Amino acid sequence: MVEKMDLQEVEVWDGNFAAAQALRQAQVDVVAAYPITPSTPIVEGYAKFLADGYVEGEFVMVESEHAAMSGCIGAAASGGRVATATSSQGFALMAEVLYQASGMRLPIVLTVVNRALASPLNVRGDHSDMYLGRDSGWIQMDAFNAQEAYDLTLMAFKIGENHSVRLPVMVHQDGFITSHTAQNINPMTDDDAYAFVGKFEPVSEMLDFSQPVTYGAQTEEDWHYEHKAKQHKAILDSRPFVDKVFEEFKKKTGREYKRVETYMMEDAEVAVIALGTTVETARLVAKIMREEEGIKAGVVAPRVFRPFPFDNVRDTFKNVKAIGCMDRSSPGGALGALFNEVSAAIYTGDNKPIITNYIYGLGGRDLTVESLKEIYRELALNAKSGKQNGKIQQFIGLRGPKLEYFE
Amino acid sequence: MRQSENPKFLGTEERLGWDEVSQATLLHSFNGEVENASFLKQEERDYAVTNSYTASVADWRIIKPIYNRDICIDCQFCWVFCPDTSIISRDKIMIGIDFDHCKGCGICVEVCPTNPKSLLMFDERKEIEEALEEWPAKKTDSEEE
Amino acid sequence: MSSTIKKIKNLKELSTANDRFEGAHLLCPGCAHSIIVRELMNCTDDNLVISSNTGCLEVSTAVYPYTSWDTSWIHIGFENAATSITGAEAMHKARKRKGTLKDPDAPVKFVAFGGDGSTYDIGFQFLSGAVERGHDFTYICLDNEVYANTGGQRSSATPIGSSTTTSPAGRISYGEKKMKKDLVAIMAAHGAPYVAQMSPNKWKDMLKKMQTALATEGPVYLNAISACTTEWKFDPKDTIAVSDLATDSLVFPLYEIINGTELNITYRPKNVVPVKDYLGVQGRFKHLFRPEFAHILEEWQKNVDAQWEYLQRREEARV
Repeated sequence: MVEKMDLQEVEVWDGNFAAAQALRQAQVDVVAAYPITPSTPIVEGYAKFLADGYVEGEFVMVESEHAAMSGCIGAAASGGRVATATSSQGFALMAEVLYQASGMRLPIVLTVVNRALASPLNVRGDHSDMYLGRDSGWIQMDAFNAQEAYDLTLMAFKIGENHSVRLPVMVHQDGFITSHTAQNINPMTDDDAYAFVGKFEPVSEMLDFSQPVTYGAQTEEDWHYEHKAKQHKAILDSRPFVDKVFEEFKKKTGREYKRVETYMMEDAEVAVIALGTTVETARLVAKIMREEEGIKAGVVAPRVFRPFPFDNVRDTFKNVKAIGCMDRSSPGGALGALFNEVSAAIYTGDNKPIITNYIYGLGGRDLTVESLKEIYRELALNAKSGKQNGKIQQFIGLRGPKLEYFE
Repeated sequence: MRQSENPKFLGTEERLGWDEVSQATLLHSFNGEVENASFLKQEERDYAVTNSYTASVADWRIIKPIYNRDICIDCQFCWVFCPDTSIISRDKIMIGIDFDHCKGCGICVEVCPTNPKSLLMFDERKEIEEALEEWPAKKTDSEEE
Repeated sequence: MSSTIKKIKNLKELSTANDRFEGAHLLCPGCAHSIIVRELMNCTDDNLVISSNTGCLEVSTAVYPYTSWDTSWIHIGFENAATSITGAEAMHKARKRKGTLKDPDAPVKFVAFGGDGSTYDIGFQFLSGAVERGHDFTYICLDNEVYANTGGQRSSATPIGSSTTTSPAGRISYGEKKMKKDLVAIMAAHGAPYVAQMSPNKWKDMLKKMQTALATEGPVYLNAISACTTEWKFDPKDTIAVSDLATDSLVFPLYEIINGTELNITYRPKNVVPVKDYLGVQGRFKHLFRPEFAHILEEWQKNVDAQWEYLQRREEARV
């Protein structure tokens, strides 16, 4: 019997501890993990809960992140609730296994604490690891603060484990800025949280000896394509179920989540779209721009960016004149991922806004209120003049001469 | 002996569409529930159509082993050394060859200890009755190397 | 011995096992892999959960839409069979404790298979971690001394003088330059309670080791010599004969190490065969019989003699 924790109505947790608490409340069966900054406290939290009797499960401290995800797959195929955490280099190391997990349709929850990818080596928060895993076939959600890290992690189990979905789910949060910043959290009680997530219902599991099953078969050119197509369909079909889980969560807690989060977008003429803690800063600045400079500013964030909310994004921007796509990842010779995906969605609509790509915050470089104000002013100028006033891609917050590309 | 009338050669199965393939390429060994396959002989199992037991690699062969029941001493060497689970042994008695699964490697003949051997390789097209009639006689000491 | 491992007195008794490894797989005719796998699955009636690294075995037994496995089986990738099976073993422990298993009392054994490429090289870390953590599982390396599945590239299990596609013999080269890594000793040094080297031609010795492995609580490493007709280049019918030469020439000595210190040689050939007789029947070594490479043949015999001497001394010293 596990010991329950008597949580207060308001707890003070950082993003890591919040995620760890979610793992505890979901009563995860197996955590196979490897430490990497800044995600380590999540799995350390689980280990401590285990040691103190708050959770009954197995903690397998493996010898690399690749082994962590491999162990998670073996455990998930054996019919239980599985989760782990990683960042950056560890995420990159387990990249091949991410594809294997989604191809094998196993519900695993991976909390990713976003951190820059080397070289140069950097432990601070940026989204390059998140961007690396875009095509891996996982359902991916982004938390902008510690409360959301907690909420989304609980929801991740419910979404991935549903038999009509059966896909692994990532919950991202900004390294250090969210993971290590203590914030106010309204947690659910242990009983409510577990009741919400539900009991794990195994299907096609290896430990049901009466129905032996083969996992991980090889498919050649005569079968592979159909399986991948089915997988793509599954992740796209998960969208209504995600909406359903969000709705159920709102009923239970009063906190509302949407696959695309909007702030002051009803009459916005200019908007930024971003991920992570930048969203909250942008909301603050949008309000200031409206009040102090009369700019009708809004903020958009793809809460669930895989499966990509194509229609919602296009609809959200249908009356906007200028958009700033904020990408916190080294673009590697092209435009940023958010820019590319958002532009593609908007291109299929009637609206032809001016879209600009802002690269910012790499390696944990702070994105200031001042920078965002500059961005909104530039967007307002673009909207007014009907054209791109600088180049399409700009680096924000960079020392040295201005770096901008593509026109 | 086991030999299907209409062997299911590999690659001849129906090509399912994307909506019909199994989720995650999962393959089941049997239909329904099976307590433990250890306790069931192969002929007692309800094999799923996805179990390779139901398929045939007979078309791999150019030579095949023919089994002579009269000479065999049921030592089980051929059974233990067959890579293709193609020697059928039941209750410690040799029954014969599973020609759906035999690839004609010839290991069974090599390990057979009787003199003359109880298994010999013949051309794939050889009729069993004919082969048995042509069976060589016992080798004398001077003939054995 | 654990009470769930059945007692088998002789080959006739073993033959009453109902095979759980099915035919119409895609392994080469004469492949030793399946001889070894069949014996593992026949040596016990327990439920088995098996994992495989990418390699000949995996690629030949689970190509959609067929599976040759009558027990639960998982393949993830090239290197992680050891870790995937320890994930399954951990889940089994967790679910047993929580009471969520369908049949909690059903005996189950966890077994991982890997070729030499995936065990000695790319999966080495994973095997090391799994053994170090002390999970209750058995790892069987099907050692054909080469990356057979991809056409015969050298691995760290490839012995000296072997011609492989990435260490080919040629006008000036005699092939692989190094002796193979002693993975059995490395695994024993990990503190594994039981490690052994076995060969399918000695079915009785192999049976005993497999049963010991399954009955041992904790991690077990078994190195199985798997003579490869395709890459070693001999006729498929000679798999057992070549394996006999391997064990009788002491190129592959059969032994076990208990708790890292008690080494027991389990097969002492009545007549030890010269190493060059073993090398001579394989195409991969035929260039060694050219006069300019005679010194490699000498080195081979010396190495095998030294290895045998070492095993005997260690057996005596009980260290």
